[in-house]
Amino acid sequence: MTDSEKSIDRTVESLLQKAKQDEVELVWDRLELQLPQCKFGQQGVCCKICAMGPCRITKKAEFGVCGATAETIAARNFIRMVASGAAAHSDHGRGVALTLLALANGEASDYKIKDEQKLIAVALDFGIEVGERNTEEILKDVAKVVLAEFGNQEGEIHYLKKAPLRRQELWRKQGIAPRGIDREIVEIMHRTHMGVDHDPEHLLRQGMRASLGDGWGGSMLATDVQDILFGTPEPILGEANLGTLSEDEVNIIVHGHEPLLSEMIVVAAQDKELLDLAKQKGAQGINITGMCCTGLEILMRHEIPIAGNFLQQELAVVTGAVEAVVVDIQCIMPALANVAQCYHTKIISTSPIAKFPGTTYIEFDEENALEMAKRIVRIAVENFPNRLGKVAIPQEKMEHISGFSYETINYLLGGVYRASVRPLNDNIINGRIRGVAGVVGCNNPKVRYDWVHIELVKELIKNDVAVLQTGCSAIACAKEGLMIPEAAARFAGAGLREVCEAVGIPPVLNMGSCVDNSRILIAASAMVKEGGLGDDLSDLPVAGAAPEWMSEKAISIGQYFVASGVFTVFGVTWPTLGAEETTRILFEKMEGIAGANWAFEPDPIEAAKLIIAHIDGKRKALGIDKARERVLFDMAKRRELEAV
Amino acid sequence: MDEPRESLEESCEPKRSEKTYNWRKKLNTREEMLKYLQTAERYWFSQEWYGSERRKTPA
Repeated sequence: MTDSEKSIDRTVESLLQKAKQDEVELVWDRLELQLPQCKFGQQGVCCKICAMGPCRITKKAEFGVCGATAETIAARNFIRMVASGAAAHSDHGRGVALTLLALANGEASDYKIKDEQKLIAVALDFGIEVGERNTEEILKDVAKVVLAEFGNQEGEIHYLKKAPLRRQELWRKQGIAPRGIDREIVEIMHRTHMGVDHDPEHLLRQGMRASLGDGWGGSMLATDVQDILFGTPEPILGEANLGTLSEDEVNIIVHGHEPLLSEMIVVAAQDKELLDLAKQKGAQGINITGMCCTGLEILMRHEIPIAGNFLQQELAVVTGAVEAVVVDIQCIMPALANVAQCYHTKIISTSPIAKFPGTTYIEFDEENALEMAKRIVRIAVENFPNRLGKVAIPQEKMEHISGFSYETINYLLGGVYRASVRPLNDNIINGRIRGVAGVVGCNNPKVRYDWVHIELVKELIKNDVAVLQTGCSAIACAKEGLMIPEAAARFAGAGLREVCEAVGIPPVLNMGSCVDNSRILIAASAMVKEGGLGDDLSDLPVAGAAPEWMSEKAISIGQYFVASGVFTVFGVTWPTLGAEETTRILFEKMEGIAGANWAFEPDPIEAAKLIIAHIDGKRKALGIDKARERVLFDMAKRRELEAV
Repeated sequence: MDEPRESLEESCEPKRSEKTYNWRKKLNTREEMLKYLQTAERYWFSQEWYGSERRKTPA
């Protein structure tokens, strides 16, 4: 692959050349050194869960040493990916919920309740009395019940009740309603231990259960608690791409997933003393930008520019303009420390659960969050005079409108007086909007960076499919200019364009970080409950996709989409292809369990065709496959009707 | 394929508002918040059944 073939993002090629000049090894170089990658691992038929192995299944050796088949091995590996992904999202949720509890107990004075409305909504979700009670009392109760979701042993997690009734019924009937967030993850680790569960379908059902504990549990409460603490996102005008770095300011990138510290860094960067210090050091100011999901969290709430997505984390350092990259958890390449050694950049790790050799470690402490943030910003400011050699910041940056929480979409469709998803449903029924797709997930250097996201999304909106986005996929589309209202005129089909113009929204809506996929579940549930599009999530003309996925979190997200009844297409590679029956269960049989299947299609146009065919199939089943305008009857027409 | 439409972009003043539009700040009192939840988010917070779930037996 040539440098220009590696990405459609124009910042990449020039920085790859700079990295070569600077003798810096990047993710694409390391991938090349790994080739050819292990096919057994790729296809899910390598097992190393006990010391009799590692075993790999071939035509010659159809069983592992213990007798496990390819099917058992692939299903075990697959649900271990689900467990890890669900654990990552959910532990993030636990982290923010603990901060909520600390706030309730008066031990986190730098935080406050930014959205009382959301606190009340969550209280009602959990059956907590609201009435005239004071906010602090409600907060204490909410923090306790939210945290109890993790250790719940029996019954089911509360948020399942937000799903359509038919869906809840199905989960119970199929025995996949999660009891507690942690319990389902632990049970996967138990069942996949040597010599426990060997039936692929039985294993995959537990994967569904644990993933639902992520989507309707850990992720959903992470989203809700963050909204309470930092505000429910509302539309903002932001900027995206490495051009948001500033040549004459101190550049601090916040990277990872948890916004607890980055929220404070945003505050600290406005501190007069630190701004004065920046000037003393020769900088014009302090420029905070985000990367990956931490970046999305502060973008959605504070308009902080987003410097890039997963595959730009090293490139940002290569610009030579970054004084500090402050990292928390998830999707942070350990290689950042090595890349930073070639420049002046300080990598500052902060999470007690995520340490990086070769970096500066400052442990996050919620009781002194702002002080810590100021300390970190000071380190970055003092590092400004240490810039080495030539700074090369690409010019590319793009404006975008973000901040589309479910609550905001609902509000935009009717205002305070009649907020509702009715206009969305009506426009799906009348055919202006063909359906809705959630396009989410990571980047992967095995495919042309950002290209698969962009091609898929463009093809969908061209065919009147509205797109909801989160994570690195959202950042890719923001950089490409698909998240401005004008994108509807340029890229969307006539029907979708008309609706976007009427409402004043882009055809591609940024709903936030990867835990915010829960917002997509809530939006879909509202569509069902509003009426006219069936009784269950699986009746809706909707689909999911993660076309450049790489992380286990993506597998968990995809699995909870499928287990919620949403057909989901993944690209790049598929981790069970070495096991025919296990793959058949995922691609064909899950529909009989949860009302939806997985699919694998690395070509974005073909993936779009699969999604559109699925949406058209659902439209036909609903009897809305032919465009029909809603007719308002006048009295004469009513009389005619009565006369019949 | 439809004719490309004229974008509003050129007829708009190229100026951005310094203020973010905070629609949630329209809801100030507890009463307003609860009322909004019962109407706007009636799918979950209304006492009545709505849409596809009206007249259905609870799960």
